[in-house]
Amino acid sequence: MATEVFKHGLGEPYKRKEDARFIRGEGKYVDDVQLKGMLYGDIVRSPYAHALIKSIDISEAMKVPGVVAVITGKDLDAAGLAWMPTLSGDTEAVLALDRVHFQMQEVAFVVATSRYAAADGAAAVEVEYEPLQVIVDPKKALDPDAPLLRPDKKDKQPTNQIYHWETGDRTGTDEAFTDAEANGIVVKQDMFIPRIHPAPIETCGCVADYNKTTAKLTVWLTSQAPHVHRTLFAIVAGLPEHRIRIISPDVGGGFGNKVPIYPGYVCAVVASLTTGKPVKWIEDRSENIASTGFARDYHIHAELAADKDGTVKALKVHTLADHGAFDAAAQPTKFPAGLFHICTGSYDFKHAFVDVDAVHTNKAPGGIAYRCSFRVTEASYLIERMMDTLAHDLGKDPAQLRLQNFIKPEAFPYRSALDWTFDSGNYEGALKLAMKNVDYEGLRREQAEKRARGELMGIGISSFTEIVGAGPGKHFDIAGIQMFDSCEVRVHPTGKILARIGVQTQGQGHETTFAQIIAAELGMSPDDVDVEHGDTDTAPYGLGTYASRSTPVAGAATALAARKVRDKAKKIAAYLLEVGEEDLEWEPGRFFVKGTPGKGKTIQELAFAAYTNCPPYLEPGLEAVNYYDPPNLTYPFGSYICVVDIDRGTGQVDIRRFMAVDDCGTIINPMIVEGQIHGGLTQGLAPALYEEVTFDEDGNILNGNFQDYLVPTAMETPNWETDRTVTPSPHHPIGAKGVGESPTVGAPQAIVNAVVDALAHLGVRHIDMPITPWKVWNILKEKGLTAD
Amino acid sequence: MYFSDTQTIAAPIGKVWAFLLDVNKVAACAPGFQSLEELGEEHWKAVVSVGVGPVKAKFTLDVTRPEMQEPEHMVVKGRGKAPGSAVELSGEMNLTALDDEQTRMDWEATVVVSGTIASVGARLMQGTAQKLTGQFFDCLKTRLQVPDAPDAEVDSVNG
Repeated sequence: MATEVFKHGLGEPYKRKEDARFIRGEGKYVDDVQLKGMLYGDIVRSPYAHALIKSIDISEAMKVPGVVAVITGKDLDAAGLAWMPTLSGDTEAVLALDRVHFQMQEVAFVVATSRYAAADGAAAVEVEYEPLQVIVDPKKALDPDAPLLRPDKKDKQPTNQIYHWETGDRTGTDEAFTDAEANGIVVKQDMFIPRIHPAPIETCGCVADYNKTTAKLTVWLTSQAPHVHRTLFAIVAGLPEHRIRIISPDVGGGFGNKVPIYPGYVCAVVASLTTGKPVKWIEDRSENIASTGFARDYHIHAELAADKDGTVKALKVHTLADHGAFDAAAQPTKFPAGLFHICTGSYDFKHAFVDVDAVHTNKAPGGIAYRCSFRVTEASYLIERMMDTLAHDLGKDPAQLRLQNFIKPEAFPYRSALDWTFDSGNYEGALKLAMKNVDYEGLRREQAEKRARGELMGIGISSFTEIVGAGPGKHFDIAGIQMFDSCEVRVHPTGKILARIGVQTQGQGHETTFAQIIAAELGMSPDDVDVEHGDTDTAPYGLGTYASRSTPVAGAATALAARKVRDKAKKIAAYLLEVGEEDLEWEPGRFFVKGTPGKGKTIQELAFAAYTNCPPYLEPGLEAVNYYDPPNLTYPFGSYICVVDIDRGTGQVDIRRFMAVDDCGTIINPMIVEGQIHGGLTQGLAPALYEEVTFDEDGNILNGNFQDYLVPTAMETPNWETDRTVTPSPHHPIGAKGVGESPTVGAPQAIVNAVVDALAHLGVRHIDMPITPWKVWNILKEKGLTAD
Repeated sequence: MYFSDTQTIAAPIGKVWAFLLDVNKVAACAPGFQSLEELGEEHWKAVVSVGVGPVKAKFTLDVTRPEMQEPEHMVVKGRGKAPGSAVELSGEMNLTALDDEQTRMDWEATVVVSGTIASVGARLMQGTAQKLTGQFFDCLKTRLQVPDAPDAEVDSVNG
């Protein structure tokens, strides 16, 4: 039995339970929900990026056969629902009242008996606009003559500036820079991290079903955080929370895009409340890219002070953040720029100072954490670019510079200059393994030979440190709700288990991973553990899945709930075996009497006894709930090495090799971890070479579709090579740290560093993402290096 | 988007001006022209269908002629919408008599397109707008240079 137990314990590549339904096409997504008498919604959107609404005429739309209702901002205003709170404390128009603030903003909601009739009705709504001056460039948002983009909140925000936020030791940092200017070296670099979009293959949508008889609202929702959404619906709409049920069924990719509440959801709920019928609203591709939560859009100026030998001393960062028309950034309440101040990265800086100014523009709202723990991608990119810039200016090897400056393994727990406590790490271990795997010295020799022949080859390194698993609740909350998470374990009399978790999967494999955690804790097969999630009527309250927090927080809750079950089982075992608890020993799957291994009870026998022969001094049954508030975040890390060749004829960047060494602490399922890394690396490749949401000067989005917004396909994706080190988190019950976003956070700068490295001997110091062939070709042309 | 060009038309300035004054004749040269309706003095409603890349849209345009100085200067403005899209046009024409039979037309046009048609057709927008504008002025030139058959042309417009 023990053999069987360990076969599916932690660290085993157990096949994903959820894949049985996915590979058979039996997944159930929101758009698969079909209800009797269901109506369909479509949204009338603004063609203008900034305009006054002079009038809305719905009369022609109401004549379209099948159209049941047209809801406008005025209708919502009458019900007190024209505005909704964002995740950052701003208010966002559900449907525009007198003004539109970005192209594709929601203006009216048409409800009809078919999806086609709804679209025809939306086309027939006549809206008269008066176009206004458009601000696309965030650098112009603070010009004295810039129009005030949000007159609705001019009392508390008289300009287009949303916030100024700063942290760190300004004086100490300035002193270190003064000293470095005299005795060391200071490097400075501007960099832009473009606006990108998570673009999940399943767009956002919902089915809202209000039952007038039971007064209960059920909403099938593409939600990464169903419980939080339920609470927000209750607060905003004034509905009793126990009469709201949010079901997040199978979700086809979230990546942060499905954390916010969008106007379409609210409109569908209002339409269902009004008509008493179920209302489905599903976004199309352009609506998803052009109107829902974008990510990044940080204009960064960074300065780094170091000794002449390359020992880093201080970091100073100023950032201009473009949040778009409404401040809908997904951030924990206390940190307006998220965890951006993790930007000292893997290096031992003594001083640092960071400030961020966020502004409004006439672009879609957002600033969501796209496969990223709240601005960690931006932070990691800047420090990894700065380390390469320092290496470049000093003429040092970037790997050696990193090894010289890493926080040493014995320094953990490590308090960073910006006041984070890193739990554990072995950064040089990860980099050295990556270097060995690619034969780093050999690659450098090859590069030198190629340069001599006029060929362009580059090697890029990213030794990132992540910060994931928010809470602790006292520091981290979303709209006031503390960021703990939960698990409920219910053991049936025959020893089979139903577990319910507060987080929700969008492809991460929770149904497998969490079953393995319980199986490992109780010494049984994960086959015997089913995991449910995403239904607020059944699952315990949780904050949702994003920012790599499921395993660090809900995974801990799951292990601790299973341990509570084991503790109770031990009491039952003591009763059945007629010994004291202290006389019992645990081996995976059973308790036995110390010194008498033959005398014992399996967990299945103990489960049965809990319902059939429970000690009189215990409650019958065997189940447990745990709400886990983590004492600290976890700090996964890794070292990536990217090797590129550049075609001098076309400027095309070819990723020849990409070695990813990740350390996410204890690994629960290496196959799932590897899958997460492959997907995340591809989403890190995307902004480096392909993706950027662009606008013209009138605020028209120029690539709101998959024809122009270049999500990498299998054709563009190189062969990812992965390896790992294991440095467990000291405070997590099973030592796990989270992995989902590490590759997305760590990969872009490895690629950019490689391309810059390939061109460094020509005097190239930095290229902004996405590094398109056109950008590279222009550099080659300027240097007289284009091949004919 | 801004476009401008100069054309030499083999017709006397008076004839060119008279042609340009006739909105039906001018409108018939608009690519994708469908209908024209007079709303008031110097104020028309025009329906034009336009395709940019994968998107086709039928624009309803509100057209005015705010400036006219016979026989040499004319400004035409149009503002229109299609479902999910909007367009603003402004065109200015200046005529100069080169000799009794030759007229030079200098024109410039500003086109602002918003919405779906601008987004989905973004990469093709400049080229398409330039092509359509060029077609329009080429059509004006061709029709003006047809030796006196004004009645037949009016017929074709009405048809």
